[in-house]
Amino acid sequence: MINYHPSIETLTDYAAGSLPLAHSLCVSTHIEHCQECQQQIRKLEMLGSHLFEQAKTENRRLSSLKDSFFQKLAEQPEPVDLDKPETSEVPAQSWNDDYRIPRSLRQFIKSSYDDLNWMRLSPSFKIATLYNEEGGAQVALTRVKAGAHMPTHTHTGDEITLVLEGAFSDESGVYRQGDFINRDASHKHKPIVTKDAECICLTVLDAPIEFTGWLTRLLNPIIRRHHPYSPQ
Amino acid sequence: MERVTQLEYDEERAADMHAVAEARDQAALTRLFDYYVPKIRSFCLAAQPGANLMADDIAQEVMIRIWNKAHTYKPESASLNTWVFTLARNARIDYLRKNSRHQSDIDPEFLWQNVVDENADPFKDAQQKRDQERIQQGLDKLPKDQKQVLAKVYLEGKTHKEAAEELSLPLGTIKSRVRLALHKLTIYVKR
Repeated sequence: MINYHPSIETLTDYAAGSLPLAHSLCVSTHIEHCQECQQQIRKLEMLGSHLFEQAKTENRRLSSLKDSFFQKLAEQPEPVDLDKPETSEVPAQSWNDDYRIPRSLRQFIKSSYDDLNWMRLSPSFKIATLYNEEGGAQVALTRVKAGAHMPTHTHTGDEITLVLEGAFSDESGVYRQGDFINRDASHKHKPIVTKDAECICLTVLDAPIEFTGWLTRLLNPIIRRHHPYSPQ
Repeated sequence: MERVTQLEYDEERAADMHAVAEARDQAALTRLFDYYVPKIRSFCLAAQPGANLMADDIAQEVMIRIWNKAHTYKPESASLNTWVFTLARNARIDYLRKNSRHQSDIDPEFLWQNVVDENADPFKDAQQKRDQERIQQGLDKLPKDQKQVLAKVYLEGKTHKEAAEELSLPLGTIKSRVRLALHKLTIYVKR
C-alpha cells in the first residue's frame, strides 16, 4: 500500500513536461507502483491535450516544411516489425536476487543493482551515483542494511526519496516500496531502516552544493563516530 | 451545435489515424500533418518564442513518430489529441535536453512510456470519454486567471515556481489557482 505520493503540483508539472528530468525520473518510478497517480496523470494529460488543441495557431504556409517532411519520410527505412514494441524489453527480474528494476531506471541499470559502482560510506551504508545533472540535481541510489541508521543529514535544496526496496522510518512515518517523499531544505531527518530487509532508495538532491561537499557532509558524522579518539 | 462538428472532426482524424496505421496511407498522414503541425509549432513557440527552426524540427519529428509508431496507438486508452500532445511534449523535452543549457543524460523515452494497464477494463472507453467531456466543458468555464496559469505550465513549459516568478505572484497563489482549476475539472480530488 502506497501512502506517500507526489503533490498535485508535481504531478501536473510532470504531465505537462515542465518538471526537471531528475524529478520526473522519481515520479515515473512512483507511478509504476501507483495506480492512483497513473489515473491522475492520465487526466492531466487529457487536460494538456485540450490546452494544446485550443492554443492559437499562426497562419503560416507550411508547404516547404511539408515537402521536406515527406522527403525525410521517404528516405527513412520503413519501420520493420510493426507488431513489436520498439523498445526491447530488458529482463524484468534480476538474476541474483528478487529485485525487479523499475522500467524508468533500466536506462541506468541493466540487470542488477549489484552492477552499479557502489561506494561504501560505512559498514551499513552504500551509495551509487546514477548521474549528476549539469548545474542541477544529483541522482543516486542509496543502499542501507536492515536495521541500520542512515547518517543524519540536512540539505540545502530539496530532496526526493523514492523507496525501491525494503522500508525505512523517521520521525514522521514509515515509508515502503513506491512511497515518494519530498523534503525541503529545512528538514532534518534521521531515517532508520526496518529490521526485516535492506532498503534501496532512489534519491534526487537539488544540489547547489558540490558532490564532494555533499559527500563530506554524509561522511562527517560517520568518520567522527569511527574515529578511535572520538569522545563518544 | 459546435460540439457536434468538433466530434465529427475528431472522428475523421481518428479514421485517418487508423488508415495510417493499417494501410500506411500517406494522404491520411497529409491531413494529419495539416491539422497537427500548426498546433505543434505553436506549442513549441510558446516555450521558446521566435524559435521557428526548433518548432519546425520538433513538428517534423512528431509527425515522423506518428508515422513510425502508428501501430502502438491505442484509441481505447487515449484520444488521438492526447496521444499527439504526449508525443509533442516528449519531443520538446528531448529537443531541449539535447540542445540547451539543461543538458541531461536522462532519456525521456524511459520516463513517459505508457505504463501498461494491467486491469484492462471494458468500461474504460466510456470512462475515458466521460473524463474527456468533463475536462473540455470545465475548461471553457474556468476563470481567466486559472486558465492563464494552466497555459503557463502546459504550453510554456514553466514549473509552478517559474510561473509564480513570471506573473509576480506568490507561489501559494499559483498553487491554489491550479488546485482550484483541477478541482473544477474533477482531476484533483483531495486525498
